[in-house]
Amino acid sequence: MIEFLKRHFDLQIGVSTLLLALIGLVSVYSATYDARASEIFFKQLTWILAGTAVMLVIAFLPFRFMQSISYPTYLLSILMLVIVLLLGKTVSGSTSWFNLGSFRIQPSEFAKITTVLALASYLSRSDVSLRSRRGLIMTAGIVLLPVALIMMQPDFGTAVIYGGMSFAMLYWGGASRFTLIAVVAPFAAALAALLGTTAFLIVIAVFGVLIYVTREHLLVAAVVFSLMVLIGISVQFIYDGLRPYQQKRIDTFLDPGADPLGAGYNILQSKVAIGSGGLIGKGYLHGSQTQLNFIPEQWTDFIFCVPGEEFGFLGAATVLFLFTVLLARGITLSAMVKSRYGSYVAVGLSAILATHVFVNIGMALGLFPVIGVPLPFLSYGGSALLTSMTIVGILMNLYTNRKEY
Amino acid sequence: MAVQEDIQIYRKRRILYTVLALMMLLFLGRLYQLQMIYSEEYGRKSEENSVRVITKEPVRGYMYDRNNTLVVDNRPSFSVTLMPYEFDKNTIGFLARTLALDTALIQERLRTGEHYSRFAPVKIKRDIDFRELSALEENRDRLPGVDFQVESKRVYTTPAHATHILGYTKEISESQIKSFGGDYTQGDVVGSSGLEGGYEHSLRGEKGAEFSTVNVRGQVVGGFESGKLDVQAVDGNDLILTMDFGLQSFAESLMTGRRGAVVAIDPRNGELLAMVSAPDYDLSVFSGVTPPQIWNSMNADPSKPLFNRATLTRYPPGSTFKMVLAIAALESKTVTPSWRVSCSGAFRFGNKTFKDLHVHGSVDMITAIQQSCNVYFYQLMLKTGLDEWAHYGKELGFGMLTGIDVAEENPGLLPTTAFMNRRYGPSGWTRGFLPSLGIGQGELGVTPLQMACYAMVLANWGEYHQPHAVRAVVQKDVRRVDTLAFQSRRTSISIDTWAIVREGMRRAVEHPGGTGGLARIKGIEVAGKTGTAQNPHGPDHAWFVGFAPYEDPRIAIAVLVENAGFGGSHAAPIAGMCMERYLYGYLIRNTPSPSAPHPAIAGRQTVAVPLASEER
Repeated sequence: MIEFLKRHFDLQIGVSTLLLALIGLVSVYSATYDARASEIFFKQLTWILAGTAVMLVIAFLPFRFMQSISYPTYLLSILMLVIVLLLGKTVSGSTSWFNLGSFRIQPSEFAKITTVLALASYLSRSDVSLRSRRGLIMTAGIVLLPVALIMMQPDFGTAVIYGGMSFAMLYWGGASRFTLIAVVAPFAAALAALLGTTAFLIVIAVFGVLIYVTREHLLVAAVVFSLMVLIGISVQFIYDGLRPYQQKRIDTFLDPGADPLGAGYNILQSKVAIGSGGLIGKGYLHGSQTQLNFIPEQWTDFIFCVPGEEFGFLGAATVLFLFTVLLARGITLSAMVKSRYGSYVAVGLSAILATHVFVNIGMALGLFPVIGVPLPFLSYGGSALLTSMTIVGILMNLYTNRKEY
Repeated sequence: MAVQEDIQIYRKRRILYTVLALMMLLFLGRLYQLQMIYSEEYGRKSEENSVRVITKEPVRGYMYDRNNTLVVDNRPSFSVTLMPYEFDKNTIGFLARTLALDTALIQERLRTGEHYSRFAPVKIKRDIDFRELSALEENRDRLPGVDFQVESKRVYTTPAHATHILGYTKEISESQIKSFGGDYTQGDVVGSSGLEGGYEHSLRGEKGAEFSTVNVRGQVVGGFESGKLDVQAVDGNDLILTMDFGLQSFAESLMTGRRGAVVAIDPRNGELLAMVSAPDYDLSVFSGVTPPQIWNSMNADPSKPLFNRATLTRYPPGSTFKMVLAIAALESKTVTPSWRVSCSGAFRFGNKTFKDLHVHGSVDMITAIQQSCNVYFYQLMLKTGLDEWAHYGKELGFGMLTGIDVAEENPGLLPTTAFMNRRYGPSGWTRGFLPSLGIGQGELGVTPLQMACYAMVLANWGEYHQPHAVRAVVQKDVRRVDTLAFQSRRTSISIDTWAIVREGMRRAVEHPGGTGGLARIKGIEVAGKTGTAQNPHGPDHAWFVGFAPYEDPRIAIAVLVENAGFGGSHAAPIAGMCMERYLYGYLIRNTPSPSAPHPAIAGRQTVAVPLASEER
């Protein structure tokens, strides 16, 4: 029985996923606990059960069928993104939801997966190379189409996820160093420009050298370099055009101590919650930061504070360990599956999960800026949970069919 | 897949593993830092977070006058507060209507409040009336984050205004919060002038604190460590003043409708008995919330009711200053008391003619003081010289701060050779300036307070006491009365000199032909000197300085009436009546049969005064 399971079912992924979801459920219960279990807790429980069902169904879908629906689902998600822009519901300054009966659906969540599938389908073709101009342009098109639509909502967090995911897939697909540098350069230039002129000039210089050294075509290198400088310079204008809450998030990232009761409030409270947990935590349902709701909407983006405060270093490290197991398994799987398509899918999906984990935990620990990205399996939210479960389902499917070409 | 590609794949896999491991190690390190190294600090912060401190306001200290009459009291008043975190901004309009406030003001308060803490209530209106209180109470459910705070406001229990000496309290400004430090916060009331300002640290007391556990909505969910950390508020210390509010009120009534100042001091110890600056106003205007229009109209009033004339105004003292010159001349042995001048009603020096009011004939020093002969002092000034005169002026307390504990004061102006050289250049002025200074005119400035101290030194044969308005501070919590110590000094001036000028002053009031006859009091000998300060901008200012009883002075007084005319006609009577009111306890001139002297002066000691019997 166990032998059968081992052969057909990825236990490492399955067990770590279920444990993480369980920790999430326990955390959501604590974060929303108010003398009794909250409605949010029961909703999350429902989503976890539904997500597990979806995960299992996908895990046992025929491998070929999955590949065959890659492009259609991609086109469908693009269509949904357009629709949501036209008649979506605005939640906290961002139009990313629309109602489907009594469900609220966030198409940008599903679009992440379908983009990976479509890109994997394209890159796995034997006549496609990331060293060719055509290959690069098509790749950019597949990624940038949904990103552009998402940025119009605007949803900066999801855009960052796309960045992480495409970088990983380009790297995996053998893109040149120049291509990889060219992808990172605009982000680095924009960030440095926000930090100040000196930082901007240093980054421009470093990347200028990198671009020059790795160049294949002088003209292309010049275009990339000018584009990077242009983006850096226009960052101030972009910043001015951002919504106030986004500006605040950037300001807070650059100097979290500047406004401890304003925009820096969440980061500060999050650090206080985690720091005050100590080695073993304050005990379940006894974290004062969590129980007294000092972190607004903690059950969504700041859920990591709950294990951090109530179970201390041991609890938080356990969460990190489970994510490490899951993500390492994703990487292993990418090299293990025989199908090129499957390999790309594994890398892309693992990168999506990894970017979520890095950005979210980095934010909760006060290392990264506050970007609205949920922590997979732990954060409250149906769309996010279904997406993560779907990703795990697909990874399991890849494991089951690892010997297929 | 080709072998080549397999090697590539494994290399890439290793790099991805490394990236993952590095990121997780970074997080683990950060967790270790936060939870193991700084966990105590964050633990403290998390406690501070969920524990709300409710400030307990101390009761501001009371003030009693020298007869232990309560003169400054407190009464409860309600202030409306907002907690920024709980407050629903949609209710601003409703709240503004209910409290008759500007929405912009509420927004402004809210904004500055949030700047301090979203959990700290900010006051938006002080001293609301009963109608507003009940309207808020009825709508409490509709107004989350809106609350009241019971505070005390000042109540003045006597008919006296004592405006400038008591001073007012005001809501603290943002710059004051920064400069004061301590536990001052927005909405606190702080003493801003007079004794309220000068004794702020004594009157204020210490805030208390009550700790309770709250949730993020600020709802109190229980106490904290069963109140072990709570701190009781310490009420402010009471002040026992040196002031006689009976005299204060009486002096104010005499100054009603006039502009000027009255300062009365007990010469035996420098205790301030009364200090009037007219016009004044009723301090209770400031005890609740001062409508800006009232404040603005007071500020714009050309008679400057906010300005403390007693300590800040700077006028030439006129003839009241002649004793300074007499003292300087005698002490520097320039002349003897018997030196005589023949007064023809004017004095010519260079191409200038200096006038006198009368033809006094041949006068010696005592007569010159008695009759206020200008010609005598023009010549005496030229003989004595500027620096000798300025030296003794300084010894008598002019040109410097008195060090009074009440309020800000002006040091006045006492010119010296160095000053004149600085001002006009060494060749820019001549001895032609001197005759005017000799009779207290020209580039010379004194405050009524300095004049009262001058009267005190004259009364005291040279003993100077730092003037003050507070006798003791009562620390109620430890039941201790701290009597305050003030400095005293003795001038170098000899008894003989004092005897001459004091005799001149006595005659100025008591003898026919003296200029201060209107300051006379039945049954008590008074000494004094009138002054009429020329004023280029309008009618002359009337001055009087004096003390009584002559033999054993118990009150020294200075009176200034702006733009009134002769000192002898306008200032002397006010001084006389004030001294009478103080020494007898009531105004005897209004009672049909003035009986025996008041017990206060009955058993007085006679001091042997050389020359005192040498009456002419």
